[in-house]
Amino acid sequence: MNSFDRILLWLPQLLSGAKLTIIITILSVTIGLLLSVFLALGKMSKITVINKVCSAYIFFFRGTPLLMQIYFIYFGLPQFNPKLTIQSAFVAAMIAYTLNTAAYLAENIRAGIQSIDKGQYEASKALGMTYAQTMRLIIIPQTIRRLIPPVGNEFIMVLKDVSLVAIIGLSDLTKVTRAISSSSATALVYIPAMIIYLIITAFFSFVFNKMEKKYSVYE
Amino acid sequence: MSLVRTENLGKSFGDLEVLRDINLTVEPGEVIVIIGASGAGKSTFLRSLNTLETITSGKIYIDDELFCAAENGQVIEMMDKQKHKALLLEMGMVFQRFNLFPHLTVKENVMVAPINVKKVDKAAAEAKALDLLERVGLADKADVYPSRLSGGQQQRVAIARALAMEPKLMLFDEPTSALDPELVGEVLNVMKDLASQGMTMICVTHEMGFAREVADRVVFMADGIIMEEGTPEELFSNPKTEKAKQFLQSVL
Repeated sequence: MNSFDRILLWLPQLLSGAKLTIIITILSVTIGLLLSVFLALGKMSKITVINKVCSAYIFFFRGTPLLMQIYFIYFGLPQFNPKLTIQSAFVAAMIAYTLNTAAYLAENIRAGIQSIDKGQYEASKALGMTYAQTMRLIIIPQTIRRLIPPVGNEFIMVLKDVSLVAIIGLSDLTKVTRAISSSSATALVYIPAMIIYLIITAFFSFVFNKMEKKYSVYE
Repeated sequence: MSLVRTENLGKSFGDLEVLRDINLTVEPGEVIVIIGASGAGKSTFLRSLNTLETITSGKIYIDDELFCAAENGQVIEMMDKQKHKALLLEMGMVFQRFNLFPHLTVKENVMVAPINVKKVDKAAAEAKALDLLERVGLADKADVYPSRLSGGQQQRVAIARALAMEPKLMLFDEPTSALDPELVGEVLNVMKDLASQGMTMICVTHEMGFAREVADRVVFMADGIIMEEGTPEELFSNPKTEKAKQFLQSVL
């Protein structure tokens, strides 16, 4: 069997691994993005308790290794309280990636919000808008445009970090590749696997670029 | 009945006292122009009227009702929230740097506050916005984004945006200072129209021609206090204080 045929033979497995990688990435970045808006607003809050809690959260998730967070959520929590047992490795991974990426995204969002000129707040206030209206109608829509590049960047980071899920027994693209490589005693499989990663990355980069253009109409 | 009255209004940033004992009364329909050198406290005074700055001493009355009172750096009395908000809406403000919302079209800039703050329905807000844009001569720009406009056009949109809330009093904070000289006239013309239609206005400006022509009263500020006030005639031809003389000599 020539190399090409062998690659074709592995392709279904590789693609199912890629599917898991993409699902975890999209879901965790999407949910993480929602969570991160609240974290960012919380970290900017003048209410001390909210501010401290959000800052501590961001500090913790950015300051400890993602690998350790995954271990801890899946294997560690049940030892503290059996009620915290998460049966599904997929759910455990989703929780870990969502919580982790939210911390990083929150810092991007905070920087984005703080980069908006204070004249925008003053004009909103002079027009009688409340803080919530100012955020929803004026500040956050302008922040979105500035956030697309860092969110795109974070997305691609997560896409590759998903390779860590192998440690709790999930078969993502990297895990599948390693399994094929050891069972068929060849490193050849790494080539199609890396090409698949590059195609996924290129596709999402393209999507984020399109979004950036779309949101730049007013500039 | 006065529209705005301040009593010994003062404002400090930490140890720095920028406004001291400002007593000013504005009657409905009056056009007040505040002049003075940079750092005299003109903008701070204007901004403290609509609470963009919190006063640290003195009182502000609006429609003869106590709006806000402060003593020794603390606000000691504030009108109840609902009423406070309603009175704030009676003041429109135009900024030196326009502060239009860049992500909204010209028309949306004018509509956003009426729809969300006053809960006007969208069709009515749009009709009103187009009407106001017509008034400032920008009806044809309704659907473009502010970045496509010149500074003078942007400032006219900002005026329309403030007018959309139907204020009784318009505050202008150096509305032409950020404009190229050839664009100043179009903004001043809109302001003159507004004044001739009876709008009560307080304008901080360096445009002495405008002050002379439109103001009912000119207020000269220096070092955080009102040094002198009077009709344009009095103040420009016959300044009483040395500071006012010097200032007028330097600008005229």
